[in-house]
Amino acid sequence: MIPITPRGFKDVLPREARWRESIVTKTRETLALWGYAPIETPTLEVLEVLELGGTLTSTPFKLFDADNELLVLRPDVTLQVARMAASRLKKEDLPLRLRYAERVYREEESQRALSRQFTQIGVEAIGLEGAYADAEIILLLTDALKAAGLRDFTIALGTVGVLRELLDLCVKSGAVNAEWSNDMLKAFHAGNYVKIEQLTQAQGLCSNYADVLCKLPTITGKAQAIAQVESMVAPLGIVDGLEQLASTYAIIEVLGLTSQVSIDFSVVSAYDYYTGLVFEAYAPGLGKALGNGGRYDRMLEGFGASAPAAGFAVSLECIMQALLNEESVEQALTTKPLLTVNIEDANPAAAFVAAARMRADGQAVSFGSTSKKAEEK
Amino acid sequence: MTNTAPLKIALPKGALYKDSVELLAKAGLDTSGLADPGRLLAITTTDCCFYIVRPTDVPVFTSLGGVDCAICGHDSLAELGLDLIEMVDLKFGGCRFVVAEPADASNKAESRYLRRGVMRVATKYPSITQAYYEKKGVQVEIVKLHGNIELAPFCGLADRVVDITATGTTLRENNLIIVDEVLTSTARFVGNTASVRTDPRIRALAERLTKLV
Repeated sequence: MIPITPRGFKDVLPREARWRESIVTKTRETLALWGYAPIETPTLEVLEVLELGGTLTSTPFKLFDADNELLVLRPDVTLQVARMAASRLKKEDLPLRLRYAERVYREEESQRALSRQFTQIGVEAIGLEGAYADAEIILLLTDALKAAGLRDFTIALGTVGVLRELLDLCVKSGAVNAEWSNDMLKAFHAGNYVKIEQLTQAQGLCSNYADVLCKLPTITGKAQAIAQVESMVAPLGIVDGLEQLASTYAIIEVLGLTSQVSIDFSVVSAYDYYTGLVFEAYAPGLGKALGNGGRYDRMLEGFGASAPAAGFAVSLECIMQALLNEESVEQALTTKPLLTVNIEDANPAAAFVAAARMRADGQAVSFGSTSKKAEEK
Repeated sequence: MTNTAPLKIALPKGALYKDSVELLAKAGLDTSGLADPGRLLAITTTDCCFYIVRPTDVPVFTSLGGVDCAICGHDSLAELGLDLIEMVDLKFGGCRFVVAEPADASNKAESRYLRRGVMRVATKYPSITQAYYEKKGVQVEIVKLHGNIELAPFCGLADRVVDITATGTTLRENNLIIVDEVLTSTARFVGNTASVRTDPRIRALAERLTKLV
């Protein structure tokens, strides 16, 4: 039998492990500087419990335990943190600023170059709401990506509010049903503009609604993009989320981050738990987002508590790939020089004593053996 | 993000290739050398790098970030279901996915299905076929082949075939008749999520293409 690892799982050898460790350490330090406290979540969760917070956004690994409980390997940390916050923490503890770096596990089809295990570095801010809170999350994400060593990245911001309200109006007009609305949300989520246009041709749909739906995913830019959408949807009576997005972006402008953070109304999520801000982070050559996040003010309700919440998660593996594309790796891989102390057969303890002294001064020391060396020759 | 690098575009070789090149030229891209690439697979012009790939591989090249954007048949996109942004229906390269069976054995497939409880279908597109039969509530066994699907019913490999057809000629010549339509497909302009959202040149190109079709 060939000693393989399961598809999409791998060993991490020292050279890579050191690199991973250094990225996690640097981002962790930055998140801590913003006042985020570390947490750890269990590797396994009860599926039924996790689903109280919202639909799982990926296919988890499932297993039955000896109690016949259906468990999942955590596919995502956000739902776990919501469960944790709702069940363990009291209202007076709010706001909570939490950070984590955890392995997550997801089923993926074979031969798609997708690993089934990866590491998410993320934060959740529970009990914080409004434009300041949204700005904090975005600025924290830029700081964390910079701390990880990335130079060339972009964050695209959108809001689910406008689309949700617009779809409600379409359904209320009686021209389309809830299934159509769901299909439309899915088409936005999948980035299928052809499908969006096809769906707007539904019999009897108000042409104003149809126009906005077709235009919305093409509107991108800076603050003027928000104004542009506002001028389109205000006549329809839609205001949700735009004012807050504009206030959030105003803070980002003052901090001089507009070249890295842009507005993009094609960024929407079909996942039911997002309620306002949504965003994705990109780096050149990756093809997909290296991280994402948003606001999910109603997620905790599923677990019996009520508090606004927002957060993000980035993939350590995607950051590594982006750094490789930037060719700024070699610098990251340098490690402390390691000295070797030889162990003499006559007095082996002496080498341990000497090494202990050197380590106390912060010098990394390992042992060599004179007799072993001789054998090798 | 800096956009000094040439835009990377994948083009499907085969039926969609010529129209794709003509359309991109009309949209103002430098497509010199693309009309007759010979055996070249990668062609760099003044503003773009073009990659000529198998039609069914275009979604893979695009979604993994190998290229920024591409022209691709809706059929290949539907079959693979990868994560990418489908921006413009380019309206050319129209074809249909159809269910066909031997002309002289009509209803044989149905009666066999009733007896056996499962329809056996040969196709190059297992995902599309599976989704179609699931929607119809018909249990199906899929035989994946890489070509000459028309042969399958005559060798007893399958009751029916799900295949792509532009005019229906090949099916007719091979004594197959169309019994149902699965989906229609045209060429699409697509891009990967990251490139579309970070490189304004792609959306600008999408806008020009929308005006041309």
